[in-house]
Amino acid sequence: MNMYRHEFKNVLKSTLIWTLSIMAITIFFFSMYPTFSEEAESLKRMLEGFPDALLQALNFNITAFTSILGFYSYIFVYISLAGAIQAMVLGTGIASREIREKTADFLLTKPVTRQSIMTSKLLAAFTAIIITNAGYLSTAYLMAVIVETEGFSQGIFFMISLSLFFIQLIFLSVGVITAVLISRLKAVLPVSLGTVFAFFVINMFSKSIGDEKMGYFTPFHYFDSMYILQHETYNPSNMILAFVLVVLLIISSYVVYTKKDIHTI
Amino acid sequence: MNVIEINGLTKHYGKARGIEDVTFSVKEGEIFGFIGPNGAGKSTTIRTLLSLIYPTGGSATILGMDMIKDAPEIKKQVGYLPSEVFYYDNMKVIDLLNYSASFYKKDCSSRIKELAERLDLDLNKKIEDLSFGNKKKVGIVQGLLHSPKLIILDEPTSGLDPLMQQTFFDLLKEENEKGVTILFSSHILSEVQKLCDRVAIIKDGKIVKVEKISTLRENNYKKFHIETKTPADQEMFNFEGIKDLEMEGNSIRFLFKGDLNPIMGRIAELDIGNVWIEEPDLEEIFMHYYEKEDQGREHV
Repeated sequence: MNMYRHEFKNVLKSTLIWTLSIMAITIFFFSMYPTFSEEAESLKRMLEGFPDALLQALNFNITAFTSILGFYSYIFVYISLAGAIQAMVLGTGIASREIREKTADFLLTKPVTRQSIMTSKLLAAFTAIIITNAGYLSTAYLMAVIVETEGFSQGIFFMISLSLFFIQLIFLSVGVITAVLISRLKAVLPVSLGTVFAFFVINMFSKSIGDEKMGYFTPFHYFDSMYILQHETYNPSNMILAFVLVVLLIISSYVVYTKKDIHTI
Repeated sequence: MNVIEINGLTKHYGKARGIEDVTFSVKEGEIFGFIGPNGAGKSTTIRTLLSLIYPTGGSATILGMDMIKDAPEIKKQVGYLPSEVFYYDNMKVIDLLNYSASFYKKDCSSRIKELAERLDLDLNKKIEDLSFGNKKKVGIVQGLLHSPKLIILDEPTSGLDPLMQQTFFDLLKEENEKGVTILFSSHILSEVQKLCDRVAIIKDGKIVKVEKISTLRENNYKKFHIETKTPADQEMFNFEGIKDLEMEGNSIRFLFKGDLNPIMGRIAELDIGNVWIEEPDLEEIFMHYYEKEDQGREHV
């Protein structure tokens, strides 16, 4: 519990900053919706002139775009990008902290198992993600209700919103395994940004060429907001894939972390 | 009872050498020195004992428990101070020490206060504002605050000024009087000499010798320095047991090992101005062991 508190305290400030930032982007995006829906017809005409591949890549669906949920599934791509970066930075940062701050000799000579160290770190990161999602979900819902006066399917809305949590969970575990595998990780941000953007681009690419298989290589595809909108459910096979991936990554992180040598700084 | 028992401990880093078949034991209540030059394998041995790194072969027990399987249980009784100390920079000293104490299920607050006073350490400063020496003091406090039964020190004195070093040694001696066992690794031999009962000498990853400090000295060369009033004949020192003879004018220097009586008789024949017979310090003993090892290897 002492380690959990210590780790959580350390990530609290950045979690609050990330949460507030994501909330701010959400408010900003939603506040644009009334203008979009008013200009729906001319917007549709304009978008029809765009190449289809580009529209696919950007998650545009012309018919859906002018409804609140269609609009939401479009802006959600960018919110999930921000969320993914946060989660990856969090995971990489928390698991590599002892290496970066050179405090491994301090922590790992205490009477605790490496498993319990890893568990405390994961729980602290998990709490941080819960905080972000609570902040995000309430802001998004409130904004949607404010800007859309005619009502919308709350089920779909929450399904899309909740996928932020799942995407973050995946990137958190990607971050943690990255940190335990790279034995001398110095800077968290370049590694995290690089990884997240690579996956993001793969997702855009797979969509624009319509290659489903390529989508399996990027967590952004697993919870595709457009899929949720059209099918009114999560993609079941992707859901299982995501679950298996997270479990595998977390288990491997434990295994690698317990077995690895902690060298002198 | 042996507090530390190491059996054939081996660690390879890929193909690179770490330590090879390291075997020695440390008795309860002993201050045990572990000496060798930088890169000889001292830290590798210690980090393996603390299960920071895992051995390629061999085993070790600490306080009768297996160093890997029972690591958390062992660490309740172990205090560790590395040569370079790093802590969470954004914490205050007292918060760091309280965090450290929170791992041991006992109240360490009075001990923290007492140690900080002894070492003249300001508990309210932030870690990042501390000098290297002061960080080291934090390290000493956090290594001792839970009153461990075994203290493991890996080149602990770097960064401490001589006065503080003395206080630190006094602290260690006090702990030792209470029955605490100490493993003290160093490449500075004079400090090992000052503090330790026995030493293990390590070179190139292998233990060269485990010996009592006193025996090491007894079995070793004595340093002779004689000043004569008239130049002496070199032939007089063609004597078994004499090594490294240097004669310069009226000054004669050599190392001697063996029965002292005949050599004293020979010296008495000289017209002596002054004479010094010194114990070699550990440094010289150490060099001697190294030379012997190298020569041994050359013969093979």
